[in-house]
Amino acid sequence: MAYGFTTAAYVVAAVLFILSLGGLSGQESAKRAIWYGIAGMALAVVATLFGPASGNWFLSVIMIAIGGTAGWLIAKRVQMTEMPQLVAAMHSLVGLAAVFVGFNAQIELARVLRARAEGLAIDFTGFAGVLMHKTQAEINVLKIEVFLGVFIGAVTFTGSVVAFGKLSGRVDGKPKKLPLGHALNAGALAAAFLFGALYLAGFGPGILWLMLIAGLAFFIGWHLIMGIGGADMPVVVSMLNSYSGWAAAAIGFTLGNDLLIVTGALVGSSGAILSYIMCKAMNRHFVSVILGGFGGEAGPAALIEGEQIAIDADGVAAALNDADSVVIVPGYGMAVAQAQAAVSELTRKLRAAGKEVRFAIHPVAGRLPGHMNVLLAEAKVPYDIVLEMDEINDDFPSTDVVIVIGSNDIVNPAAQDDPNSPIAGMPVLEVWRAKQVFVSKRGQGTGYSGIENPLFFKENTRMFYGDAKDSINKLIPMLD
Amino acid sequence: MKIGALRESYEGEARVAVTPSSATHLQKLGHEVVIEQGAGARAGFSDEEYRRSGVTVVPTAAELIGQADVVAKVRQPTEAELRQMRAGQTVISFFYPAQNAELLALAKEQGVTAIAMDMVPRISRAQKMDALSSMANIAGYRAVIEAANNFGRFFTGQVTAAGKVPPAKVLVVGAGVAGLAAIGASVSLGAQVHAFDVRPEVAEQIESMGAEFVFLEFDQPVQDGAATGGYAAPSSPEFREKQLAKFRELAPQMDIVITTALIPGRDAPVLWTRDMVEAMKPGSVIVDLAAEKGGNCELTVPDERIVTENGVTIIGYTDFPSRMAAQASELYGNNIRHFLFDLTPKKDGVIAHNMEDDVIRGATVAHDHDITWPPPPPKVAAIAAQKPKEKKRELTVEERRAAEAVAFQGETRRQVALLAGGGALLLLIGLVAPVSFMSHFIVFVLACFVGFRVIWNVAHSLHTPLMAITNAISSIIILGALIQVGSGSAWVTILGALAVLMASVNIFGGFLVTRRMLAMFQKS
Repeated sequence: MAYGFTTAAYVVAAVLFILSLGGLSGQESAKRAIWYGIAGMALAVVATLFGPASGNWFLSVIMIAIGGTAGWLIAKRVQMTEMPQLVAAMHSLVGLAAVFVGFNAQIELARVLRARAEGLAIDFTGFAGVLMHKTQAEINVLKIEVFLGVFIGAVTFTGSVVAFGKLSGRVDGKPKKLPLGHALNAGALAAAFLFGALYLAGFGPGILWLMLIAGLAFFIGWHLIMGIGGADMPVVVSMLNSYSGWAAAAIGFTLGNDLLIVTGALVGSSGAILSYIMCKAMNRHFVSVILGGFGGEAGPAALIEGEQIAIDADGVAAALNDADSVVIVPGYGMAVAQAQAAVSELTRKLRAAGKEVRFAIHPVAGRLPGHMNVLLAEAKVPYDIVLEMDEINDDFPSTDVVIVIGSNDIVNPAAQDDPNSPIAGMPVLEVWRAKQVFVSKRGQGTGYSGIENPLFFKENTRMFYGDAKDSINKLIPMLD
Repeated sequence: MKIGALRESYEGEARVAVTPSSATHLQKLGHEVVIEQGAGARAGFSDEEYRRSGVTVVPTAAELIGQADVVAKVRQPTEAELRQMRAGQTVISFFYPAQNAELLALAKEQGVTAIAMDMVPRISRAQKMDALSSMANIAGYRAVIEAANNFGRFFTGQVTAAGKVPPAKVLVVGAGVAGLAAIGASVSLGAQVHAFDVRPEVAEQIESMGAEFVFLEFDQPVQDGAATGGYAAPSSPEFREKQLAKFRELAPQMDIVITTALIPGRDAPVLWTRDMVEAMKPGSVIVDLAAEKGGNCELTVPDERIVTENGVTIIGYTDFPSRMAAQASELYGNNIRHFLFDLTPKKDGVIAHNMEDDVIRGATVAHDHDITWPPPPPKVAAIAAQKPKEKKRELTVEERRAAEAVAFQGETRRQVALLAGGGALLLLIGLVAPVSFMSHFIVFVLACFVGFRVIWNVAHSLHTPLMAITNAISSIIILGALIQVGSGSAWVTILGALAVLMASVNIFGGFLVTRRMLAMFQKS
C-alpha cells in the first residue's frame, strides 16, 4: 500500500480521536465516543502494520496479541476503587515505551550516519530509509526531539511508578525528599541538559549520552513525585497524563509522524487542563503542588473549641427518617471502605420513602479527578442526582441531613474562616450550613492533609464512628 | 488553712458565702471551715446544719476574723471588717475595685490579699467560679417572678370556657446571662418573648431560648455594641437613636419589660424613657435589673417598687439574688469553693497564691501590700475573635457594565499579547528550523489548540474516563515502535518489540476500562 493511503488513514484516525475526546462532554454521548477512540486506534495500527513503513509485522502482531491479552485481563479484573493506581501504572508504560522508541531512533540514526560516512549505498528500509534522506539541519532537529522524547518519557515512567506506589499504598504517602531537596532536581536537570548539548554536538557515542539523560530523568521523576503528598495525587496523575502526551508528541516529531503529534498534543493538553482544574479546586498553584508540600503558613491556625460528639446508628436512622432532603458527601474514605454499594442501597431506600437524596461531589474528592462519580456509577447511583460543588453548595441551608462519608478536607470550614489554615481559600462544600451533619469516619484522626477540621466540633455535627461500610449497612434495616 | 464565712453586715443581705454543702467540699481540700454564728440563718441554713457538716461556729465576727486565714463574704468587706484583718490574710468577696478605691487602698495598707469574685475573667476555665454569671442567672429568673407577682394577668395564653386569655408579651432588653435567664423563665411560663441586644451575635442565643430577636435596620453598617470579653460596649449615638425608636414602637404592645443592660464600669444606659413608660398599658410591669447602676428606665427608683400615674409598676429592687438567698448562697458557695480549689492545687489545705495563673491573677485586686488591679489582659482570649465577614456589595448596572468592559479589554489585551508573543516565537523557530520540521510543527500547534478547546467541554464527572481514554490514546506511540521493529539492528528490534508490547497493554487496558466505567453511568 502507498504512503498516501496510510496518511489518509491517519487523518481519519486523528479526527476520530478528537471526536472521541469531544464526546466526553456528556454521559450518553461518551458511550459512543469510546467507540470512536477504539476505531481510530485500530485504524492507525492496521494502517501502519500494512503500510509501506512497517517492518517485522509478524513479530508486531505477536507482541500486540500478548500485550493486548495482558491489558484485557488487567482491565477486567481491576476494582473500580483501584482506578487511580491503574491509570498511574498505565502512564508509566507509555513513558517507558517513549524512552525505548527514542533510543531506537538514535541507534538507527547512528547506523545510517555510519553508512553514509562510509559511502555505502545500502538500501535502508523502514524508519532508517526516512533518516537516509535527512539533511544535517534536520538531523539536529531530530536529535533535539529525541532528547525531549526520552527525557519526558523517562520522567513520566518513574513518576508514574511512584504515583502508583503511593496510590496503592505500597509507598508511604507522606512527602519525602533527599537532603538537598529541589537543588538535587535542579542539578539533575542541568546535567541532563548538559548531556543533551553534548549529544547534539555529536561528541562521542550518542546512545551513551541518551542513556545518561534517561538515567537522570528517571531520578528526577522519582524524586519529584516522592516529594509530593498523597493528597495532591489527583494533580500528579493528571500532570503525568499530560507528560505522557507530550512525550508521544516529541517522538512523533522524531519519526515525522503527524498522527503521533496530533494525538500527543491532544493528550498533553487534556492532562494540562485537568491539572489546572484540580489545582483550582484546591486553590493551589500548580508550581507549589509540583514542588511538594503545602505552602508557607501565615500563622498559627485558629484553635478549635468544643468537642466531637459521637452518635450511634439509631440516632442517625431516626434523623434520616425525619428528614425530607438528604445530601451525601462521599470522599476517599468511602472508596477505601468499599462502601459505595451500601451507600447506593441507602440511597435507594431513602428515595423509595419519598425523600430527596442527592450527592455532592467536590472536584478533588478521592485520588483521581472524577473518582467519586465513577464509584457511585459503579454502585448504580443514578448520575442525575450526583451534583458538582457549584450546583449544590447553595442548597445546604435548606437541607435537613448531610451525611459525610470519609471526606475531610473538602468539607473543612477552616478553608473559609481561618486565614491561617493551610487550606485557606480552597473552595469547600458548605455542609455545616445544613440543619444536621453526620460524619461517618473511622476515628478521630485528621485527614490526608493532617489539618484539624472544625466541622467535627460544630454543634450541628455528630460523629458516626466506624468503618463506613459497616456503619451504612447498620443504618439500612433501621429505615422505614 | 481555716476558711471563715462572716455573717453579712449589709442591711437586708440574706446570702452567705459558705453553705453546709460547700463546706464539706472545702474540707475535702484539706481546709478547716468556721462560720460566724447565724451567718446562714437568713438563707435557711441553721448553725446546727453547719455543725453537722463539720463546721466550727464561732460567736462573733471579731473572733472569726482572728481565727480564719481566708475570710469569705458575699458583699464587699466594710472598712471596719478590713481594719480588723491582718497582713497575709485573704478576703474573698465581691469587691468592685473600680468603685471602691479607698477600700482597695485600705487592703493594701493592711497587707490583706483581696480576691474579687466580680473580677474573675470570663474564660471557659473560670466559668465554674463566675459568680457574676451565677448571680445574674438568679436575678434574671427572679425578675420574671417579681414581674409575674405584680402583673394582674396570666403569662400564658389560654382558651377556656370562661373566655380567651391572651399570652403576656415580654420584652427583655440586654441578653446577657440575666437577660437569657429571664427569657428562659418567661418562655416557660408561656409568654411571648421578644429580646434585644446591641451585640448582633447573640441573636442566635436569643432565638435558641425561644424568644424573638428584635432587629434594628440600618442603611449603612454601623459599629455594633459587641466588645471584648463577652460584655457590651457603649453604642454610637445613631445606633442609640434607632434603638430608642424601636422601643417606642414596641412600648404600647408590651405587658412586661425586663431591662438588664449594663456596660462594665459605667452607669447603666437609659433605654426606657419616660414617654415609653407613659405609652404602656395600665397594669404593665417594668423590672429594672440595672437599678443599682442608676437603672435602664428613666423612672426607676433603686430598691423601690413604684406605680406610675398611668398604672405601670416599676420594680427597681437591687437585691434579686438575696431574695432567693438559699439558691443564691448555694451557687455562690460553689463559686467560692471552686476558686479555693484552684488556690489549693495540691488539695493539702495549703493555699498557693499563684499570680501566674490567669484566673487567680485576674481576680486578685490587692496582694502583698500592693494593689494588683487592673490585671494585665488574660493570656487566653475570652471568645475566639470573630472574623469580619465581608459582604459582597451589589453592583449597579453601570458599575457592572464598566467592570465587564474592563475585563473585556483586559482579556483582549491578553489574547493579543499571547498571539503576538506566540507568533513571534513561531517565526523565530521558522528562521532556524528546517521546512520538514515546520510542517509538523503546524500540525502540533493546531492539535494543541483543538485539544484545549475540546477538553474544556468535558463533563466534570467524566474526568476519570477522560484520563483513562487519553491514556489509551497516548499509546499511539505504538506506531513509532511498529515502524522501528523491522529495522536491521537486533537491539532496535528488541526495544521496539518491548515498546509494542507495553503500548498494546495500554491500548486494550485503557479502552476496556473506559468502557467499563462509562457503561456504569446510568440515569435514574
